[in-house]
Amino acid sequence: MRIPLIIRHIGGILLFTSLFLFIALILSLYDRDGTSLIFLYCSILCLIFGLFPMIFVPASTLTINIREGIAIVVAGWFVICLFGSLPYLLWGGEFSLINAWFESVSGYTTTGSSILNDVEGLPRSLLFWRSSTHWIGGLGVILFTLIILPGKDSAKFVLVSTELSEIARQNFRESSKRTLHVLFFVYIGLTLAETILLKVCGMSLFDAVNHAFATIATGGFSTRNLSISHYNSIRIEVVIMLFMVLSGINFGLLFGTVTLKSRNIFTSSIVRWFILVLFTGILLVTARLYASGYGSLWHSIRYASFQVLSLGTTTGFATTDTGNWPVFTQLILIYFTLQCACIGSTSGGLKFDRIIIFFKSLNKQLRLIRHPRAAVVCKLENRPVSEQLENQTLVFTVLYLLIILISTLALTAMDVDLMTSFSGVAATIGNVGPGFGEVSSLANYSGLPAGAKIILSLDMLIGRLEIFNILIFFSLKKF
Amino acid sequence: MKIKLKLFLGFFTLVLMLALAGAYSIIEFTRISSSVNAILEDNYQSIQATKNMLEALEREDSGILLLLMGNFREGRQTITVSDSSFLQALDIARNNLTEENEKQYVADIESHYSRYRSLIEYPIVNTSRQGNIEWYETEVYPLFQEVKESIHALMDLNQTSMYREAMTLKEKSKRAIMPGIVAIGAGIVFTLIFNLFINYYLVAPVKRLVHSIRNYKRGTVFGAEIETRDELKDLENSIRDLTAKL
Repeated sequence: MRIPLIIRHIGGILLFTSLFLFIALILSLYDRDGTSLIFLYCSILCLIFGLFPMIFVPASTLTINIREGIAIVVAGWFVICLFGSLPYLLWGGEFSLINAWFESVSGYTTTGSSILNDVEGLPRSLLFWRSSTHWIGGLGVILFTLIILPGKDSAKFVLVSTELSEIARQNFRESSKRTLHVLFFVYIGLTLAETILLKVCGMSLFDAVNHAFATIATGGFSTRNLSISHYNSIRIEVVIMLFMVLSGINFGLLFGTVTLKSRNIFTSSIVRWFILVLFTGILLVTARLYASGYGSLWHSIRYASFQVLSLGTTTGFATTDTGNWPVFTQLILIYFTLQCACIGSTSGGLKFDRIIIFFKSLNKQLRLIRHPRAAVVCKLENRPVSEQLENQTLVFTVLYLLIILISTLALTAMDVDLMTSFSGVAATIGNVGPGFGEVSSLANYSGLPAGAKIILSLDMLIGRLEIFNILIFFSLKKF
Repeated sequence: MKIKLKLFLGFFTLVLMLALAGAYSIIEFTRISSSVNAILEDNYQSIQATKNMLEALEREDSGILLLLMGNFREGRQTITVSDSSFLQALDIARNNLTEENEKQYVADIESHYSRYRSLIEYPIVNTSRQGNIEWYETEVYPLFQEVKESIHALMDLNQTSMYREAMTLKEKSKRAIMPGIVAIGAGIVFTLIFNLFINYYLVAPVKRLVHSIRNYKRGTVFGAEIETRDELKDLENSIRDLTAKL
């Protein structure tokens, strides 16, 4: 494995990051909020580490193999999270070393779990940086870098293959270059559209941009302590709900819908199932809330739909504290935390497509038991799913649940209560954000022990990078 | 890019990183020093003035008690000296308005004190007030308490502000240390990367060249592949030309 080459590619990612640090620097200079030095220092540091490898590593050797691709993607995410934590660390306040790391990982992995008790106490430039980490991480740091920075097509192919899961690549049915462009244009288009709509609905431009960044990336960082409940505006909630759902759907399908292709969100069976499950969730939560005397029927529908869509799309915004809701509704919300959104979207975690494959595979096995000689094929979107993909999905699902179990055990060993541990782990590995108990929708993760924060931040990275990439990275023998 | 330039850029970057961290820390320490200044000059001076006012007021009260006991000379002398000290301290507080609404706090002291002072301007010794504890309790003591409370209010204002500044100072000192820590970490990582690049792109190619020349001497075709476009590549080409001519 050629480590200098890996360093050069990671350097490219840092160069891209320095661009957003410069934007935050301009904002801090405009506001004179005392963070200019922080952003100047961090952006120069990113530039140095980004540019320096280019001096040594010749451009003629940039072709990479799969092993190097995996190393670039996994190490790249760790490095970017490390550099992303520097502005928080230099700012101080609530950001200790571990808190800064946690916030940075939570931002890049689009989890949206925060350690901040007073979000509004931060200067605007730092809030912008916080939302930017969502936006950069939403599309995938590596993909963003590949779009922006020039590079060899072969290298792009390897990196796209590593960053996107196999199912996602199948769903796009495009070349690597085309996939990158589809992702990019849908991402930018959705962000612009939501920013404009939120502004029209009464948000300030700054808040609109930040909330659009967080929604499209299915992140969940808000610029307000009370998240979306701060605005108490149905119009804003409706706009955010719409974009949360759109961001939870495969971007290839969204692109197909806009460009009037036959393969679009209306013809996709996965999207139909996804919407149906969300709708069922909303119905069940509304019914239970209404029956428990939470408020009027309209009141119950309003809060149930926002919370189900927020967790079901792994965004994590809040309009109320679900920590006080009946246990039945909390369990439904935990199911959505485990389920996550569709592959090919900006969400992380298990993902809905895998659940569909899991059930189709279960059906196939049952049919094979009944008719051992039958030729049963598992199909997804009218296409056969290979045995290998089926097995991978099953192994992935088991591993995913195993990691949740082990992490929950580790947290409870640190005297964190069971509800907080389990829901916190499920919310972080699924890149959702809020859990229940101490880490409910309007609370935060600041009260957890430092060890728990480290475990949860690793869970966020595992959820974002897909378990196999991490396992392959740590099993690479020869560095 | 030439090797000389590559090495220069490597060391220059290292120096630049240290210089940046140093400059950052200097700026933060300058900010700390201005905060210390603010605490010492703004708040501490006002707190000291309120302490002096309280002391002068207590002595003035003792002077009144001396007058009530019929001790005219000592009583008046104590009151005159204390009054002068009080006004001097009040003047310091008046000229050191650093907090929001501090002017109002000083004005309250002034108004209460002038009322207190007007009471004791009239003769006490050899009048019906001499030995009249009831007059002291009903008229003098309440005013004395009012002045004292207004002085305490000013003291609290400055003490709270001083505490706030001290907290900010603590935060700033943390911020001043952090760039240094980050620079040390970044410097170590950068040095490791720089060392790796030197090994990979300078030392290893030289070893490959030496190895290829040795192999050539044993009769193998010269075949060292140099990826970089620097002096080592030129050397490789020169050796290749030389071996071709031999």
